[in-house]
Amino acid sequence: MTGSTTLTGSGSTPRAGVGTARWYRPGTDLTLPDRPDPSTVDPATERERFETARGEAREGIRRARERAEARVGDEEAAVFDAHEAFLDDPGIVDDVEAAVADGAPAEHAVHDRFESAIEGFEGMDGRMAERADDLRDVRDRLLRALLDAPASTDLSTLPAGTVLLAERLTPSDTAELDPAAVAGIATVAGGRTSHAAIIARSLSIPAVVGVGDALAEVPDGTVVLVDGETGEVVVDPDDRRRATALRGDDVPVVPEPVSTADGRAIEVAANVGSEPEVSPASDRGADGIGLFRTEFLFLDRESPPDEAEQYGAVVAALEAFPDARVVVRTLDVGGDKRVPYLDLPEEANPFLGRRGIRLSLGDHADLFETQLRALLRAAAHGSDGDGAGDGDGAGDGDRGDLAVMFPMVSRVEEVEAALDRVESVADDLTAEGIPHAVPELGAMVETPAASYLADVLASRLDFLSVGTNDLAGYVMAADRENDAVADYHDPLHPAVLRAIDRTTAGAEGTDAWVGMCGEMAGDPDLTELLVGLGLDELSMSAVTVPAVKERVREVDSAEARELAEAVLARETRANVRDTLGLDG
Amino acid sequence: MERIVEVVPAAGLHARPASKLVKTVNRFDADVSVGRADDGEEGAVRADSMLAVTGLNVRHGESVRVVADGPDAETALDAIEDLLTSPVEGEGEGEHIADDAGDDPT
Repeated sequence: MTGSTTLTGSGSTPRAGVGTARWYRPGTDLTLPDRPDPSTVDPATERERFETARGEAREGIRRARERAEARVGDEEAAVFDAHEAFLDDPGIVDDVEAAVADGAPAEHAVHDRFESAIEGFEGMDGRMAERADDLRDVRDRLLRALLDAPASTDLSTLPAGTVLLAERLTPSDTAELDPAAVAGIATVAGGRTSHAAIIARSLSIPAVVGVGDALAEVPDGTVVLVDGETGEVVVDPDDRRRATALRGDDVPVVPEPVSTADGRAIEVAANVGSEPEVSPASDRGADGIGLFRTEFLFLDRESPPDEAEQYGAVVAALEAFPDARVVVRTLDVGGDKRVPYLDLPEEANPFLGRRGIRLSLGDHADLFETQLRALLRAAAHGSDGDGAGDGDGAGDGDRGDLAVMFPMVSRVEEVEAALDRVESVADDLTAEGIPHAVPELGAMVETPAASYLADVLASRLDFLSVGTNDLAGYVMAADRENDAVADYHDPLHPAVLRAIDRTTAGAEGTDAWVGMCGEMAGDPDLTELLVGLGLDELSMSAVTVPAVKERVREVDSAEARELAEAVLARETRANVRDTLGLDG
Repeated sequence: MERIVEVVPAAGLHARPASKLVKTVNRFDADVSVGRADDGEEGAVRADSMLAVTGLNVRHGESVRVVADGPDAETALDAIEDLLTSPVEGEGEGEHIADDAGDDPT
């Protein structure tokens, strides 16, 4: 092919990258050939094929184990020992050999035996369901060997300069990517607010999502430019196109805190969802961490992290931002975030069920207590030296740089119960003679209920933080993983803007500051509006920090307030966008 | 010969403890079966099968009856008892499984 082709999707990470296309097809289907007449099958050959496949599968499992051990640790790598035990299971091996002796081809014998084993485990509780996943994994290794199907790509060891193409990526696929190796991501489906897109942004990997079926025509090995700024995927880009895209990547980093043109300080912080994201956040000039997601400490493992591990992770983040604030969100599982070993309830509407603080005060009270112990101890860590500098919260006393917020708050009673838990953990630590401090405490505003109650919540807390992704979802009653209602997710719908305004207005006259940690906070085109709406802090993917800081310096607060009032008076999203000078 | 043993590892007879049990059984010249202590003979399954062992869904704190037959029966039982009564290394916070109410956060 000569000349370039341009495809369009939604720009997700506003950066560009060029590299070599490589398809990731985890669902490469392992379709079996038709079952032959048993009399045409040679049992000896099939038996040998099965043995060879087992050997290949074993090698694969051992390699995976070594890698997992190096990347995540021995404890989590142990799952591959279980895989090897399944591979050698006499109950499986004997049955497959018997079926083969009766004239079944090896792939059919393997498929049937695993199918019945998987059925036995499915529909049972957490640990048993995990075994079904283990069995599927082992089965697929065997079938891949038998059918000579391409091995599934190992996402953690992609060669440098890879542009990863996929139908859709899961959050765990994305989290496995090495930002140093992956030059870009483009997907057929998916929206920019999906968790996978958010993780890609956190890792600063250029990404364009929702390109559509046209992407499927791009063959492996072609040179592809992914421009997350414009939402374009350019196949075989010419030199000029490359130069334009890559130049846009260099917004100067502003390391110091910024104020509006008329002197109002606005904290521009970063959202961080894993340890490797901490130092890029600091490199990009973030004034602190406005959302430290603790879920990563709990995912992809067999049991929850203990107090010491959580303490270590938070202290590491505090050390990376010695003169700034780190806002840690307590465990926010439930909804679409599943953690197998926590045996979360099966619910028909998980987004409206037990998630966030509801679990922390209920089924997961024990995890919550462990987490609070780690956090209160970490709060003492920074309090005796550098922590005093940013104390704009209420009644400082013994506080350090740490702030802690509770997710999914919808009732004042939840805040009161959480504060009680903090107090009792502090009492325990005092009794045990363990150094600790009570950090700044806040609530996330993600539900319409929290926005309505903002004044009451603000009177009991040090801060509020608006999570615009969930808030937009709950205000507009639209599932954010559902592409069919993606249109409802724009935070510029008047109803969402009013919920935000209600939040900042509610906190006015209290000592509580109000931040925003949703994707909206990272859009430089909205910075003036957000300052006008009264936000004190904006927290975003690290990659957009420089652009937002640049905008903050240009804003005049009085004009911003006028803009906000004009926008709040608009009745439709189209009119809002029009007032902001944005397209359609 | 047989022995009743309480399963100490937090994961119960799953994941690492289960694969270790299977590995241990395979080291000895003995036919070994395992089942819930309360379930009697019918509940016993072959202990060299990962599928069968994990299928029991034995949790931490439950007792199992281990039956061994063969020249190495005695030493096999010793090794198995040793394995099932030691908490798995690196799993110090042991009781964090959701349906275990008593959790020790320290």
